[in-house]
Amino acid sequence: MKNDSIAYVLGFMLAVSVLFGTAVSLVHHGTKDMLARNEQMHRNRTVAQAFGLEVEGRDAADYEQAVAEHVHETMLKADGRTWPVFQHPRPESGQKPDAVGFEFMGQGVWDVIRGILVLTPELDRILSLRLLEQHETPGLGGRIEEDWFLQQFQNIIPNWDSPKDRRVIIGQSLDPEAENRVDAITGATQTSQALMRMLNQELEAFRKAFMAYQAQAARQDNG
Amino acid sequence: MAETTRSIFTKGIWAENPVYRQVLGICSALAVTNLLANTLLMCAGVIFTTAMSNLTISILRNHIPKRIRMMVQVLIIASFVMMVDIMIRASAPDIHRFIGPYVGLIITNCIIMGRAEAFASQNKPLPSLLDGLAAGLGYSMVLIAIALVREPLGFGTVLGHPLPVRDLWWHSWTIMIMPPGAFFTLGLLTWWARAKTDPSLQ
Repeated sequence: MKNDSIAYVLGFMLAVSVLFGTAVSLVHHGTKDMLARNEQMHRNRTVAQAFGLEVEGRDAADYEQAVAEHVHETMLKADGRTWPVFQHPRPESGQKPDAVGFEFMGQGVWDVIRGILVLTPELDRILSLRLLEQHETPGLGGRIEEDWFLQQFQNIIPNWDSPKDRRVIIGQSLDPEAENRVDAITGATQTSQALMRMLNQELEAFRKAFMAYQAQAARQDNG
Repeated sequence: MAETTRSIFTKGIWAENPVYRQVLGICSALAVTNLLANTLLMCAGVIFTTAMSNLTISILRNHIPKRIRMMVQVLIIASFVMMVDIMIRASAPDIHRFIGPYVGLIITNCIIMGRAEAFASQNKPLPSLLDGLAAGLGYSMVLIAIALVREPLGFGTVLGHPLPVRDLWWHSWTIMIMPPGAFFTLGLLTWWARAKTDPSLQ
């Protein structure tokens, strides 16, 4: 068969695709367990950082132990979705919760952004923001996971009386001293706006679900 | 063969270095060089990809239909890059979180496609493998040199280890961590290397 015939070209391309596709799949399969362990460690570490937990050591087991001892994770179902919700300290400690957190997600400029937002139990103050996953432009939007940016969210006060898309403001505001505002990233306006949009949507939805859950729990306690 | 091997390595690493002579692979050279550990992993990924893609393309060179040769080359390069990406993600997840986007961009690195098209598609497997290794080493040499300037000046560390009694005598230059630091260092290195390698400038 001539190697410029249509049949040869198609057959060759198919064979090369199958061969290299299989090779990549085998490498992926061989490292599947390691990838899962790494992902779990990253999640535990992010939760520990979000709740400011003291961790002895830097191994996966250290983060897992710190999170298991101090943070209670549960699933909150509302509006057709399930929220991973965190509470600190664990209910068994007998202490009143001092922080609640939830896993948020939304669309960034290029791909999904996921993270953990921690608030006071009354939802009147943000305690911290940490990211689990982002794929924004390296060096520009990708800077949303740098500490200087994330630390701005500590102790900002969501304005629940503002319009739904301005509960938290990233970037410019009529009042530069507003307690619900943080600085955007220069050169990454689209990412800053995407993050602001998703945080406001997620805060609104979580608040609604969390209040319904608390009301239901109170009814059960009284009943 | 010995002479050819020496010639291949001399060209790839020095006389026709892909970064400072051909100005290829600049994106990652600027992006990942503020920490030496990140740089070393990136370099290992590029060396593996250039060497293996050159070898594979050379083995298949007489069977690849001419009209789809570039598609086949990209497919082969992309496969090796995906393997590198998975292996870095599995073995060094924290470094992968930083250099991950640039590892994906190795697919479009002109050095690899350039060597595949200019050398591997016309030469036997062993010289092609060596040519890929030489191009990868040439790229790595420049990146490591830049990282060895940026990390000590920017963080006061080398491979994460603090310089001796750093707090007494060193104040970190933040600009060296940021993109301008990479431009300055690469520019100075290119200037010096061209003056050394280009006879017309001597």
